Amino acid sequence: MILTRRAVTEAISRGEIVIEPYDPARLSPNAYDWSLGDRIRICDGDLDAALPTPYQEVTIPPDGMVLRPGILYLGVTHERTSSERYAQLLNGDRTVGGLGIWVHVSAPLGHVGHAIHWTLEIRVARPVRVYPRMTFGKIIFLETFGDPASYQSLGRKYRRTGGIDISRLHEELT
Amino acid sequence: MILTGPEITKAVSDDRIRIDPFSAEQVNPNSYNVRLGDTLLTYTDEVVDAYRANPTSATRLDEQGLVLRPDQLYLGHTVERVGSDEYVPLLFGRSSVGRLGLFVEITAPIGDIGFHGQWTLMLSSVRPLRVYPGMKIGQIMFFVSKGEIDLYEGKYQAAAGPQASRYWRDRVVSA
Repeated sequence: MILTRRAVTEAISRGEIVIEPYDPARLSPNAYDWSLGDRIRICDGDLDAALPTPYQEVTIPPDGMVLRPGILYLGVTHERTSSERYAQLLNGDRTVGGLGIWVHVSAPLGHVGHAIHWTLEIRVARPVRVYPRMTFGKIIFLETFGDPASYQSLGRKYRRTGGIDISRLHEELT
Repeated sequence: MILTGPEITKAVSDDRIRIDPFSAEQVNPNSYNVRLGDTLLTYTDEVVDAYRANPTSATRLDEQGLVLRPDQLYLGHTVERVGSDEYVPLLFGRSSVGRLGLFVEITAPIGDIGFHGQWTLMLSSVRPLRVYPGMKIGQIMFFVSKGEIDLYEGKYQAAAGPQASRYWRDRVVSA
C-alpha cells in the first residue's frame, strides 16, 4: 500500500519518515516531489564492473548545464530521506520524462533503513539543459509485510551516503 | 504491501515463493538479489521486426567477462529460477549496476503471479561496460496482491536461459 499525502505528513510528524530539507509544499497526493542536487558526476569513459568508475565531478551552475546523449551522469537528490518503517521508491516525474531524461530507472527501491541522499543514474535521449534544485522526481513510501529488517543492521554498502556514490560493485568481484 | 527480507526467506521455506538456488546472503531488507547467467542473446538482423521471429546469436560468458556495447541490446538471464503463486514479483536492476550505466530491464519490471523460471534481462548500457557471469545484477521484490488469483499460463512459462521476444505469436492478423 502506498502512503497518501496525509499519511506521509503524519509519518513525518511521528518521525517515521525523515526528509531533509522538508517543504510541505512539495507533497503531492501520494508522493514527495524531490529536487536535483547541485553536484553531478560525468562518466564518459569505458567501464568495467570489476573496477572503480572513472568520473569528473562538477557543480551545476545556476544558469544550468546541458546533458548529452551517450554519456552517463550520476547526480544526487538535494534531499536526504530515511525511514525505518516504510520502503521507499524513487523515480523521475512525468515532466522530466517528457524532456527525454531517464532518472534512476534501474534501481528505484530504498530498502527499509536506507538513510540517504539518493544517487541518480541519469541518461538523456536528446541534449537537454538542467538546473540545480529543479524539481526532478517523486518518492513514494510503501507499507511492508512481514518481520522488518533494516539496512542499518546488515552492514551493507551505501547505507549512509552524503553525496554521489559511484558503483562499488567491484568490491564484490575481487 | 512489499514483503520484507525476513518474510521472503520465510516464504521460500514454505513454498509461497520459489527461488532456486536460494542463498540467505542474497536477501535484502525488501528484495532478493539475482545473478547474471552465462548466456547472452543478441538479435542479428539490422532491424528487429515485431511481427517476425527474429534470428539471434548466443554468446557464452566466461570468467574474463564480456564488454557490452551501447548500440546493442543483450538479452541475458538470471541464474535463479524465481516465481510465486501468491505474490506479484517486480524485477529491477541493483543500484550498483545502475551506477555503471547498465539498464537491466526495459519498461517492464512487473512479472506475473504463477510464472516460474529464469527471468530474461534486457541489458542496455550507456557506456561500453565489461560484465561478468554470476555477478549480482538485479533484485526481485514481491508485493501482496488483492483479489482472486489466476496463475500465469503464458508463452514464457518455465523459461530456461534468455528468451527472445515472441511478440510475433501475439500478432493480430486483420482480415
